[in-house]
Amino acid sequence: MKHPLTNNLRLLLSYVLFWTVIATINIILQVFWYNVPLTFSLLDTGTSYVLYPLLGSSIWYSIRYNSLEEVSVGRLLLFHLIAASILCAIWVYLSYAIYKPFITKESHFLEDGIPKKIFAGYLMYAIYLIFFYAVNYYQSLKEKIKKEVEYKTLLREAELQALKSQINPHFLFNSLNSISALTVSNPEMAQEMVINLSTFMRYSLLHNQKEMVTFSKELENIKLYLGIEKVRFGEKLNAEFEIDSHCMEAEIPNMILQPLFENAIKYGVYETTEQVTIKTICKCEGNLLRISIVNDYDACSIKRKGEGIGLRNIRQRMEIIYNQPDLISVIDHKTSFEVQLIIPQKQAMS
Amino acid sequence: MSEKLQTLIIEDEELARNLLRSYLKDHPDIEVIGECENGFDGVKAINEKKPDLVFLDIQMPKITGFEMIELLDYKPQIIFTTAYDQYALKAFELNAVDYLLKPFSKERMLAAIEKVIHHIQHEENTAEKLDELSNFRPGDEFIDRVVVKDRHKIHIITVDKIRYIESLDDYVMIYTQDGRHMKQKTMKYFETYLDPKNFIRIHRSYIVQVDNIAEIQQYEKESYVVILKDKDKTKLKVSKTGYKKIKEVLHF
Repeated sequence: MKHPLTNNLRLLLSYVLFWTVIATINIILQVFWYNVPLTFSLLDTGTSYVLYPLLGSSIWYSIRYNSLEEVSVGRLLLFHLIAASILCAIWVYLSYAIYKPFITKESHFLEDGIPKKIFAGYLMYAIYLIFFYAVNYYQSLKEKIKKEVEYKTLLREAELQALKSQINPHFLFNSLNSISALTVSNPEMAQEMVINLSTFMRYSLLHNQKEMVTFSKELENIKLYLGIEKVRFGEKLNAEFEIDSHCMEAEIPNMILQPLFENAIKYGVYETTEQVTIKTICKCEGNLLRISIVNDYDACSIKRKGEGIGLRNIRQRMEIIYNQPDLISVIDHKTSFEVQLIIPQKQAMS
Repeated sequence: MSEKLQTLIIEDEELARNLLRSYLKDHPDIEVIGECENGFDGVKAINEKKPDLVFLDIQMPKITGFEMIELLDYKPQIIFTTAYDQYALKAFELNAVDYLLKPFSKERMLAAIEKVIHHIQHEENTAEKLDELSNFRPGDEFIDRVVVKDRHKIHIITVDKIRYIESLDDYVMIYTQDGRHMKQKTMKYFETYLDPKNFIRIHRSYIVQVDNIAEIQQYEKESYVVILKDKDKTKLKVSKTGYKKIKEVLHF
C-alpha cells in the first residue's frame, strides 16, 4: 500500500488545510490574546504545526509494517514507544535549532516552550497513530471488498469454464465410434466400454456438486478414462503409476487431473506413431500431496504454444481453492513434458 | 460400374479401420487395396498405388489429413472422416466435399460412396476442390508448421525453423537451418497465414523471419537489402513497401 497522503490528492489537501487553519488560529490567539511577539509566534507555530505534520506523515511507515493482527501487543507498544521517542527527539532538536538564533535574554518564551513540546510530541504521535490505523483499515477494507468481487466473478467464470470443458466432444465421439466398431467385432467389450464411459461421465457430472474428493476416487476415475482411451489407442498408450499408498486418502479437487491426462494424450499419444508412456508419480510430503504427470512427445512435429486452455483452467481453479499461486508448474524436457501439481492438505499425511 | 473402385483406408485407430473394413466388405463396387495408420504412410500409398477412392481421417499423428492433401502428386476421390473438428466441418461445408462424422452408419457411408461414383461417372474435377480445401484456413489462426516432401521423404517444418521463403513462379522455396524445401503454395498463402509479427514480406519474392534479420543496408538511394544471420550472410532485396513493413515491425 502506498502512503495515503502522496497517493490521494484530496486527502493531502485536507491535511494541509487542516494544519493551516490550526496554525492560523494559534497565531491569532498568541498575538492578540497573549501579546506574544509575531516572530516568536511564527516560530512556535511553524515548529508545532508545520514541522510536526511534515515529520509526522512518516508515522505511516511505522504502522504499515506493524499490522495490528500480526504483531503482539507488547511488541507493538514497545515499537511505537521507541518510534515516538526518536521522532520526538528529532522534532525537539530541529525546533531548538530553528529557535536558537532568536533566543534572547529578555524573553524565555521559546525556551519555556521546549518541555511542553516533548509532551506534545508524544501526544501527537498517538493521534497520528490512530489516524493512520484508521486510514489503513479503511483502505484494506476497500481493497478486500474489491478483491472479493473479483474473486467472485473469477469463480463464476471458472465454474462456467469447468462446465464447458467437462467432456471433450472429440473424446466422446471417438469413444462412441470405437463402441460402434466393437458392436460388430466384440459386443461384450462394447458393452464394457459403454459402462465405463457412463461411469466416467457420471463422475464428471459430480464435478458440479462436489468440490473435493479423495485422491483414490480421482485416481480411479483417471484409470477409467485411460482405460477408455486405451481401447482406442491400443498398444500406443502405456500408462504407468507410481503412487505412495498413504496418499490415497488425500483430498483433491474433483476432476482436476483429467484435463492433464487429456493433454498428455492429445500432445503425446495423438501426435506420434510410437508407443507413448504417461507416467504418474505421487508422493506425500508433510501436508503436501505432490503429483507429477510425465508424457513423452515428438518434438519434431509439434511446437507447444504456451499454456492451453486446459492448463489455464486448472491453474485458475487451484488459485481460487487454495488462494496460493504456483501450485502447478509445467516443465518441457524437450522429449517429454511434465506437469507438477502441489495439493495442500489440511493435515499431514502419514 | 464395370471395374471395382480401388479403395484405400487411412485411419490411425484400429477399431475405426475395422469398422470401415466391415462396412465395405460386401460392397459390389469397392475393393479395399490397403490400409494406412498414419499420414506419412498414407501419402506414400496414394502416390504409389493411385487408388480411385480414399477414406481419409483428418486427425492423425505426424500429419493431418488436410496436410496430406498438400503432399499428393496424384489426387484421388476422397471421403473425409472425422469425429469432431469444428474447423474441418467449416472447411467441408465451404468446399462441398464428402465427409462422414464418426460414428457413422453404414447407410450414411453408402450414400457418400454413391456420390463419389456419380462424380467419377460425370468426370467432375475433384482435384481442384481438394486444392481449395488445402488452402482454406478457418478463422484467423496462423499456421504453426508446414509439411513438405522432397522426393520420398516428408518433413515437418515448425514455423520457427523457417529462415525465409522465396517465390519461384508457381512454387515457393522454403529455407530452413537445415536446407531448403520446395512447396506448391503461393506467397500470398504464407503472407496471410504466417504471423506478421514474426514474418515480413519484404519483397514480391521474399518473406523473411524477423529474428533472422542481421542488418538492413542501404545500397542505393531508396533501395535496401536485408542481410541474414547465417554463414553466407545472404542478402535479400527489399522493396519500398517491404522497407516500410520492416520499420513498422522492428520499430525504428
